[in-house]
Amino acid sequence: MEKVITVCPYCGSGCKINLLVENNKVVGAEAANGVTNQGELCLKGYYGWDFLNDTKLLTPRLKRPMIRRQRGGELEPVSWDEAIKFASSRLMAIKEKYGANSIMTTGSSRGTGNESNYVAQKFTRAVLGTNNIDCCARVCHGPSVAGLMVTLGNGAMSNSICEIEDTKCILVFGYNAADSHPIVARRIIKAKEKGAKIIVCDPRYIETARLADLFLPLKNGSNMALVNAFANVLLNEKLYKPEFVANYTEGFEEYKAMVAKYTPEYTAEITGLDPALVREAIRMYAAAPSATILWGMGVTQWGQAVDVVKGLSSLAAITGNLGRPNVGVGPVRGQNNVQGACDMGALPNTLPGYYPVTDAAAREKFAKAWGVPSISGETGYGLTDVPHKILEGKIKANYVFGEDPLQTEPELSLVRKAFAELELLIVQDIFMTKTAMIADVILPATSWGEHENVFSAADRGFQRCYKAIDPPADHDVKHDWEIHSLMATAMGYPMHYNNAKEIWDELRGLCHLYTGATYEKMANLGYVPWPCPTEDHPGTPWLYEGNKFDTASGKALLFAAEWRAPLEKVDAEYPLGLCTVREVGHYSCRSMTGNCTALQTLADEPGFVQIHPDDAKQFGIADQALVWISSRRGKVITRANYNDRVNKGAVYMTYQWWIGACNELTVDHLDPISKTPEYKFSAVKLEAIADQVWAENHVQELYGKMKADMRKAAMA
Amino acid sequence: MNRFIVAEPKKCIGCRTCEVACVLAHSGTADVGSLSPTSFAPRLRVIKGLSISTPVTCRHCEDAPCANVCPNGAIVYSQNTVQVLQERCVGCKTCMVACPFGAMDVITVPATKTFNGVTVANGTKAEAHKCDLCVDRAAGPACVTVCPTKALHVVDRAAMEQTLRKRQERAALEAENSPLI
Repeated sequence: MEKVITVCPYCGSGCKINLLVENNKVVGAEAANGVTNQGELCLKGYYGWDFLNDTKLLTPRLKRPMIRRQRGGELEPVSWDEAIKFASSRLMAIKEKYGANSIMTTGSSRGTGNESNYVAQKFTRAVLGTNNIDCCARVCHGPSVAGLMVTLGNGAMSNSICEIEDTKCILVFGYNAADSHPIVARRIIKAKEKGAKIIVCDPRYIETARLADLFLPLKNGSNMALVNAFANVLLNEKLYKPEFVANYTEGFEEYKAMVAKYTPEYTAEITGLDPALVREAIRMYAAAPSATILWGMGVTQWGQAVDVVKGLSSLAAITGNLGRPNVGVGPVRGQNNVQGACDMGALPNTLPGYYPVTDAAAREKFAKAWGVPSISGETGYGLTDVPHKILEGKIKANYVFGEDPLQTEPELSLVRKAFAELELLIVQDIFMTKTAMIADVILPATSWGEHENVFSAADRGFQRCYKAIDPPADHDVKHDWEIHSLMATAMGYPMHYNNAKEIWDELRGLCHLYTGATYEKMANLGYVPWPCPTEDHPGTPWLYEGNKFDTASGKALLFAAEWRAPLEKVDAEYPLGLCTVREVGHYSCRSMTGNCTALQTLADEPGFVQIHPDDAKQFGIADQALVWISSRRGKVITRANYNDRVNKGAVYMTYQWWIGACNELTVDHLDPISKTPEYKFSAVKLEAIADQVWAENHVQELYGKMKADMRKAAMA
Repeated sequence: MNRFIVAEPKKCIGCRTCEVACVLAHSGTADVGSLSPTSFAPRLRVIKGLSISTPVTCRHCEDAPCANVCPNGAIVYSQNTVQVLQERCVGCKTCMVACPFGAMDVITVPATKTFNGVTVANGTKAEAHKCDLCVDRAAGPACVTVCPTKALHVVDRAAMEQTLRKRQERAALEAENSPLI
């Protein structure tokens, strides 16, 4: 038996795993002693690999290229030559007819790795000639990147995951570590054991709330008001560090004026929190010799998200909790390589290494390296622009790489309607997905485990992931970067790489942040957090040494904004607020975890809706009964799950279920800056189903048919 | 003293990794593919209440109610643990009723019989089903190994004595600092 070092393909904790391989088959997983996981793994880490064996529990593996000669026709398996010719000629025709900006592409924040994202954006920028590339950061930590870029100059976690356990106070804001990052939850527990104070701000009594010193159950959608109230107390009670503010920050007067009215008394009605509790919490944060703020989707998936990120960043800045070890701001990234996809420039406004596309000198450098006359300086479309731009007739072709927008985007009926209008939809993936089901071209790729690559953990740590197995003999699949290279070549831009390392070396030659992060340095369990400017540099676990920020002025910008309420209001017809969340055993669109036996054994369709028992009883809904849940945009069946830990008036659904798909209900309301959807608040109603036998059969019928359709399509 | 597993609720994050490890450790194959929702029967269960998350499992009692009530002598003390001799279990559920922790379950599993070297299906067999402390597993209980927050521990005589000693020392110090008379 062989042991191959890899990085877990699920959350952004960056856990190192030894895959156990026998006769080109993965037979088990052991925890390796990685920097962030220290020999521990969670449920998905231990039992989330057998999708590699094409279990077909949810959906089958894509094994050969397929095309649909007419939109809506049958999928037809073809040779790689024919698939590439078909896809590239249609893309060229669309570019010719409508211009480069009529084509949209995506990067992939999942198991494919940094090298393939670099190649995907190079294909988009150098070959197609547009900046229309984005990744699922748009729908998760986009606001963190946008907000922190402005306030501190770097969109990532300021300090490393390892440092969390040595901070003296953790302010957990809208972040459920136990479900999203168990291995980060472990650091929070260790911090508590070492004497840290824990403050949790969340509408639900999450696992971390159980060990918290203070729990602030704020009302859904009141984040900005609470952050402003925190700032108000810090300023009024002189709990901030005037010297740090004077020397290392800017915008103090405007900041002070903006938060002046947000006393805890003023915000009590908005947040539902006792003013004394708010004061006690922020006094605790300010009194700690070192303090860390961790946040997740509870901050970012709102119509007002970037403002809140900037507000949290300002709390850290005015209390001097930046620029040293064990402090900082921690937007903990959700998908295993969403940090990486951003690092590689799979964003419409930045090139690899975060050079803005508006920076002429950077564009010239990349254009020269890529052998093209110029690169577009026009910011491209974001992921959440796509449905609208298709309906406006501006996007005609969509090249989706390792994502399933028909499952993960808000307001799915709108997404389906828009995608039906496309002239060309290309899907490059490892599994048949809802999006692949309607694609004109399917390009099957190698999976995590079948290629080598570098991933970026949530704390900017680059790590190598080795190849464990070859794709099974009957899989006619290629590496993602090979597929993009073939497409580029067919479109008149010869592109060829022999291996992932060649791509990586090209990338680090172009980006000063990554120059020193060589494959050799990342060998085995090696871990290199960027910035790593030279080969003798060990990498940078914490940013802003000497309180020098990466903003133009070198100072941290202080920022606050007026609180805005969520878009939708609950009313008599739709009396509950739906918030979409995560559960520990499943991940993203579920094409991977849904094919893992252990994970599917613990939880399966149609998923569930968490509801407070008092609310459930009011609507005549029994625990574990199947129910209808509907919003102004759609209606799905799911299972009621009585949960004392959720607040009354709100219900919670996890977003990976294909039958109980919460995104049929969510609203396409976006943060004005980051364009991130307000997944956290949609008005819904629940209806009991009298005939539960019928309902159970109905779910089984829907599920059975869906799986049969997927199989039939993939096996065509 | 019998060994047993304790969980620290403060460290439990409710992830159920222990449940899967338990089932796999007793599957005979360690093959993840052998799991299924219908046969999934972990010997410890993660319970989540309003303010607690913790696995609950057998305490391997010194005077075990399950062993005391078993009409067929199927539950015995062995290797400082309480074990079920499955060949003697008739599935009467008396042990389930007796256990105050809800740690005993009775399940049915497919039975086989072997005749002339040929193994054939033979209906179902009842099994009193509870934590066996992975007595046949060299590395010890599988749940303890996988817990990502190290919330599970095996407690034996030595570990218990160490804890008792610490508590006695603390009590002694407190007695000095806060005299009752």
